[in-house]
Amino acid sequence: MNEPTPIVHVVDDDTSFLTAISRLLRANGFSVKTYSSAHEFLAQRDADSPGCVLADLQMPEMNGLDLQSALTETSNPLPILFLTGHGDIPTSVRAMRGGAEDFLEKRAPQKKLVDAVTRALARGSRERELRARQRELRARFGTLTERELEVLSLVVQGKLNKQIAGDLGIHERTVKLHRTAITTKLKVQSVAELTRLTQEAGIFPESLRTFPKGQ
Amino acid sequence: MSVSACLTLAGIHLLVWVRNRNAWANVLFSLTAFSTAAWAFCELWMMWADTPLQFATVLKWGHVAVWSLVLSLVGFVRLYLKSGRPWLAWTACGLRTSSLLLNFLTGQNLNYLEITRLGHVRFLGESVSIAEGVPNPWMLVGQLSLVVWLIFTTDAAVTTWRRGDRHRALTVGGSIVFFALVSSIQAPLVFWGIIHTPVSASLFFTGLVTVMGYELSGEAVRASQLDRKLQQSEAGLHEIEERMRLAVEGADFGIWVRDLVRNEIWATEKWRALFGFSETERLELDKILERIHRDDRNAFHLMVEKAAEGDGSYQTEYRLVLAGGETRWIDSHGRVEFDGSGKPILVRGVSHEITERKQAEHESQNLRGEIAHAGRVSMMGQLASALAHEISQPLGAILRNAEAAELFLQDASPDLEEIRAILADIRKDDQRAGHVIDRMRGLLKRQDLDKRPVDVAELVGEVVALVRSDATARHVKLELTVADHLPPVFGDAVHLQQVLLNLIVNGMDAIDEVKGGDRRVNVSASLDGPHTVEIAVSDSGPGVPADKLAHIFDPFFTTKPRGMGMGLSISRAIIEAHRGRIWAENQSEGGASFRFTLPIAEEGI
Repeated sequence: MNEPTPIVHVVDDDTSFLTAISRLLRANGFSVKTYSSAHEFLAQRDADSPGCVLADLQMPEMNGLDLQSALTETSNPLPILFLTGHGDIPTSVRAMRGGAEDFLEKRAPQKKLVDAVTRALARGSRERELRARQRELRARFGTLTERELEVLSLVVQGKLNKQIAGDLGIHERTVKLHRTAITTKLKVQSVAELTRLTQEAGIFPESLRTFPKGQ
Repeated sequence: MSVSACLTLAGIHLLVWVRNRNAWANVLFSLTAFSTAAWAFCELWMMWADTPLQFATVLKWGHVAVWSLVLSLVGFVRLYLKSGRPWLAWTACGLRTSSLLLNFLTGQNLNYLEITRLGHVRFLGESVSIAEGVPNPWMLVGQLSLVVWLIFTTDAAVTTWRRGDRHRALTVGGSIVFFALVSSIQAPLVFWGIIHTPVSASLFFTGLVTVMGYELSGEAVRASQLDRKLQQSEAGLHEIEERMRLAVEGADFGIWVRDLVRNEIWATEKWRALFGFSETERLELDKILERIHRDDRNAFHLMVEKAAEGDGSYQTEYRLVLAGGETRWIDSHGRVEFDGSGKPILVRGVSHEITERKQAEHESQNLRGEIAHAGRVSMMGQLASALAHEISQPLGAILRNAEAAELFLQDASPDLEEIRAILADIRKDDQRAGHVIDRMRGLLKRQDLDKRPVDVAELVGEVVALVRSDATARHVKLELTVADHLPPVFGDAVHLQQVLLNLIVNGMDAIDEVKGGDRRVNVSASLDGPHTVEIAVSDSGPGVPADKLAHIFDPFFTTKPRGMGMGLSISRAIIEAHRGRIWAENQSEGGASFRFTLPIAEEGI
């Protein structure tokens, strides 16, 4: 896959600090984009690009925490790092609960800052890959017919063809045909692989956990 | 008959005078009545005279009675009506006295050079003697004196009438004028031989005496009525006094009066109880002053002296220290009274106890102090927090720029333009940080420093009282040494207290760094030169490392693990805004001493 370069999005109302920190991040080899407010960032950001957000907690109008909650509701919830003049515990606890990657003082040691950004980007790309794979799997499962999905749900429960045929009131032979179609469409070789893939795609969350009755 | 009547009246009014030596009008009236009686007696004698010589002799002596009659009536009018021109009175009396002298020096008497024979006429059914002879021309002097006397009396009566006292003018003035006029018309006609009747002036004068006697007895009745009223009002006065006493005792007021002339002090029972004197103990100023708290005695003296120089009234509050050691707060109002020459002669005062009120005031003051303390602490907290945020921006920018520049310089071919821009930004951010500090210092300077003369002992005392409980809880001995008679300093008490509070709390924090040993903070104030007061806060802590002495007043410089490093820099800003100086030094016996100076409040500032 040809992944675009991840970008560190820095959001701070203090332009002087914004310039300084973007210089430092660039000097450390990151790609940086700067925004002087949370609104500006939300309006300009690329809906599907890798990266992370480095935002000042205390900003007028929309502060860091507001930005965090707005971001989680989008299709591309980039990991967010907070910067603060001086950290106070209640705010940091809220930020971390909201899934903040880290919480840094503006004058935190450079290494700590760079490590935190690196970590955030790594997490971002990990989450991004996960999201991409899920999207791809969902697309694959999307090709299955209603009946095929019904058969699949019983297969992953470990039922035999005969049982499935009984459950659905169809011929055992028809079940076999469906299974062949499923494995072809989902490009899997074994039942084990099929089960893992189904689990990964996150379909049938309920039925997967239900143990077959009478066994 | 008229003789005895006149004598009776004379006797009665003489008695009035005996009982009341100020009743001079009664004496004179008595004299009038007595003279009238004497003259009537002479007239009677003349009527029955056998020889011309006898007639002449009786007439001659009768003039003494006339003389005393005129003089006593002049005096009576002056005293009783309180009017009449003095020169007329003196003229009348002088002329009458002259005629009395002429009576004895010329002819047989004032009226006749010589009585040649006695005639007889019928008078009131009796045959009486009348004189015939050569009239004495000097008789005119006597008649002139009567005319002047009439004018005097008329004038006095008119004045009295105009003054509004019409009753007296009419009864006394009118009757005298009427009877005197009638008698002094009749007598000359007789003496000049124009009509032939006996001299019967006494009849008219008896009438006069009767009217006047009536008037005076009315006076006596009025006096007795007045006396009764006086008794009633005395009873009323007693009632008022009693009510006053009840009110005064009900209100817990003690009253005292100090007679400066006789050097005596009188006080009510309540006052004695208040000041701890028994009911019989003799009150002396020294003994009273002894009971006033040592610190309040001078103020009390000054207050009374000032009152004696001013309008006389004073109001003061002071403490009493009683024998058992009990302290009472007293509120005292008083007034100094002066004699005609403006010399103070009497001081009256009302005192009552206000201990409870004082305690309540003290408590509320403490409470206010604590609130103010909390307010100051939170104000400093907010200030520090705002400052930390504002300053973290430029400082953060400076740090990040410097770090970026370092990295750029590691490049084989560094972008010098970029580095130049970074350096410019660093400079800009440094200035920004500096502005934040300047603004904050300016804030303190400008913050409406409400400068006024401040009593140093009070200032220091209040702060020490404020932290006293804190010190006790931390087992720190808080000492206070304030020099006597310090002049007031010129400053804002609230801000200065903030500085003191900060220094004392710092001192106590420093003591905690030393284990064991003396735990003591001393606050002292003394004069430092003619225009400056120096206040020092010294502790028994470890002292300040010599290399840090110069920096401890810098912002954000702190030696405390959790210190903000703002207290001393704020203190310095405050002291400098007062045109004072603040510094720290280590004491030879150990511990640090923080000192600051303040200008004294000089007149005209």
